[in-house]
Amino acid sequence: MKAPFSVYLTEIKGGLQQLIRLLRREYDYVSVLATDSRGLAVRISQHARSVSSETMTTERGIVVRVRQNGQYSEYALNDFDPADPEGAAERISKALSEQQKILAVTNSKVYETGLLSDEPVTLFVEKETEQLPETADVKALVEQCTAISDKAMALGEDMIECVVNAQSTHICKLFLTEHRDMSQSYVYSEGVVAPVVSRDGRNQVGYESVSGLCGPELFDQLKEKAALAVRVAEELLDAGRIEPGEYDIITSPEVTGLIAHEAFGHGVEMDMFVKNRALGQEYIGKRVGSDLVTMHEGALCAEDVTTYAFDDEGTLAGDVIEIDHGILKTGICDALSALRLGIAPTGNGKRENFEHKAYTRMTNTIFDSGTDTLEDMIASVHHGYLLEGMESGMEDPKHWGIQCIIKLGREIKNGRLTGKTVAPIIMTGYVPDLLGNISMCSADRQVFGSGGCGKGYKEWVKVADGGPYLKTKARLG
Amino acid sequence: MLNTIISLLKKSGVHAWEVANTKTQDWEFYFIRHELDQNRVKQVEHINVRVYQLIEDGKFMGSASAEIAPTATESEAQALIDDLAYRATLVKNLPYTLQPVTEAHQARREQAKVDVPRIARDFIETMTRLPETATEDVNSYEIFVNKITRRFITSAGIDVEETYPSGMIEVVVNARKGGHEIELYRIYRSGTCDAEGLKKDLSRTMQYGKDRLRTIPTPALGKADVLFTTSDACNIYEYFVKRTDAQMAYRKMSDWQIGTPIAEDIRGDRVTVTALRELENSSCNQAFDGEGAPIRDTVLLRDSVPQRYLGNRMFSFYLGLEDSFIPSNIAVEGGSHTEAELRNGRYLEVVEFSDFQVDEMTGDIFGEIRLAYWHDGDQVTPVSGGSLSGSMLDFVKEMYLSQETVQYNNLRIPALTLLKNVTVTGIQ
Repeated sequence: MKAPFSVYLTEIKGGLQQLIRLLRREYDYVSVLATDSRGLAVRISQHARSVSSETMTTERGIVVRVRQNGQYSEYALNDFDPADPEGAAERISKALSEQQKILAVTNSKVYETGLLSDEPVTLFVEKETEQLPETADVKALVEQCTAISDKAMALGEDMIECVVNAQSTHICKLFLTEHRDMSQSYVYSEGVVAPVVSRDGRNQVGYESVSGLCGPELFDQLKEKAALAVRVAEELLDAGRIEPGEYDIITSPEVTGLIAHEAFGHGVEMDMFVKNRALGQEYIGKRVGSDLVTMHEGALCAEDVTTYAFDDEGTLAGDVIEIDHGILKTGICDALSALRLGIAPTGNGKRENFEHKAYTRMTNTIFDSGTDTLEDMIASVHHGYLLEGMESGMEDPKHWGIQCIIKLGREIKNGRLTGKTVAPIIMTGYVPDLLGNISMCSADRQVFGSGGCGKGYKEWVKVADGGPYLKTKARLG
Repeated sequence: MLNTIISLLKKSGVHAWEVANTKTQDWEFYFIRHELDQNRVKQVEHINVRVYQLIEDGKFMGSASAEIAPTATESEAQALIDDLAYRATLVKNLPYTLQPVTEAHQARREQAKVDVPRIARDFIETMTRLPETATEDVNSYEIFVNKITRRFITSAGIDVEETYPSGMIEVVVNARKGGHEIELYRIYRSGTCDAEGLKKDLSRTMQYGKDRLRTIPTPALGKADVLFTTSDACNIYEYFVKRTDAQMAYRKMSDWQIGTPIAEDIRGDRVTVTALRELENSSCNQAFDGEGAPIRDTVLLRDSVPQRYLGNRMFSFYLGLEDSFIPSNIAVEGGSHTEAELRNGRYLEVVEFSDFQVDEMTGDIFGEIRLAYWHDGDQVTPVSGGSLSGSMLDFVKEMYLSQETVQYNNLRIPALTLLKNVTVTGIQ
């Protein structure tokens, strides 16, 4: 079935178009992003169970962007009355004028920016889904998640808890300007099984996830994940500490995705170029990785949680090759930053929700596959680790440092897995070294979309990342 | 819409309900260098509803929640509430009661006067008066000034409203030497603009930037004593707060027992942690938590002995805790040594991490070192690279806190915290 576009947005569209016409008398650019995204979240554990209609991306509201004298301003509200666009226009104009007084009294200069393109675009997209979160069988889903949690509890003797989260969001967005009329509706879902084990006062948490551009039907896959998640949690309890040092490593697709995201995901968000905050801008056309490194970024390069048709600034989604056989080709860009840099936007202008500013943000960030097998990769390692599971990462786009917290390392000696595990692991290094040392890539690849991404320590959005198994070198501690 | 929702809930026949109504006026200013990138206004209202139902003759209780948009029609709101009433019967939790009305709920409270334009102006002017130089300056900053009015209403009779300021500023500082430039990231939260605090910390940050450009690689120290002198130490003390959380205790994710020291053979300073109703200019100075429970000064941990658990209503009820609440402001008492005494011998003072983390579940700590000072007697060497790691399960046995304290928004903690025998992975 098609995910049906929001009735609410359809009903207020005429009022929004009138609001744009009214504001255009005062401002030389006006756009409106209106959102109405509904969701379902079932959270089951042994001690607390809940159902909610709220997920990370549920929202209903509008944000108006205007330009006057080279200055862009925005106003976000969620009580728009389509019968009174005049009232909204007056309120927006008045509030922004009040801000202008503060800017005047503080002698604040404006970073003057040209006029955003308003070439006509008409688009109406309703993507396919089997189910919708708003009409899903919640009773069956609660029973399904409860059964997974209960079954997992019996799988390990150190189990004290098993959290099962299943959430699905039906995104509906409407982008309007004088000449653009763009609507999209799609559903994405994500689920997690997280068993908690404890022994002698030490806790560990396993984590297995599923995600996809689909409805709650995705959660049928969760039950297959429970046993693996429990096994990993138990392994974490038995794991030793790593001897700090530099090792040959093989990254699992999840860790590969984390590297993609932190290394040259954030590093080529081009709003950072505008602020001169990224070393990447000096390396366009230069080598930043081995020949085996090709990396894509864009809403269109995978079907997962952030596979939209257009971004939050009305730019059509893209698929950018950021690194081509080790050479940094380009970055990703929101519309305002593109205007300032004199380039075309790439469809990566995203907001946490309608209340937040748009920044250049990642969507799907993925390393291309190679031709090697995992078995051959393991066989090629004299002493190193197969790294599995990610906790978190942090980049330094100005200095190209990278920090990745990895859940588990499996020791490899003389081309074989020894059965010894270490945890947790902090992987650090210099991005060009990490990518430059990539010497093998597996033929398969996976994409993971259960996580979120912040800009600094705020502005959380959905992203997906992944790739194949990679062999490289890194410092582990 | 709020009144309509409350009226519908009263007629719904559900066992119990809660409504959180939050109105936010937010002014935002984004600067690149000192030029305005964008200004924004946010004027929004959120109405979050939770409905409770008894199941199997009261053996269990379920809950379901949703946000109802202020633009929803009455029929939309009715449909959502009907849906919540049904969904709440699907999830079985042990029953508990909602927060009852207390004297604190009935007391008259002075509401904070929040002057959003004035606070915004203070932030902007503060940022233009920093001691920038040709080699250390501000790259960009983002200012957020919020006036938040929060009303919480329940079927148990609670109806409280509070207005408070909440400010945030994100600042990126650059330092350069020759052709090389680095950046340092800061995010500050407070009630209103703390101009002096900002100037002081950003001046210090610029000095860190200067020092980072003259670092040598962090030596492979193996095990070292590590001194925390910045806001990263907050993560260490939040671990103590989490370990006394009612949910963590009930779910056996924390093995800390009331009245029993958190570790045997504690050789260092003992830790005393108190939840506070108010801290000066904290952005968390509310009288009630998110479930309507009154917040009051309460000792969580005294001399490394847990005194009581605190947390949300559900798990507090399960544990039989009286007067529990979700803590917002935290104060950690100073320790036995002065700052000067702690700065003694060989130790690594880490002032910039990529992202310093303390895992509340496992106790593991991690952080890549962007700038540290290796103190070896009188010799101080700025170093960079590598990482530190270890476990709070070990560190609680020997850590030292300065007598002097410092406040970071809603946490007042020792100005210096020394962890012993931390694993330091160097790159030299």
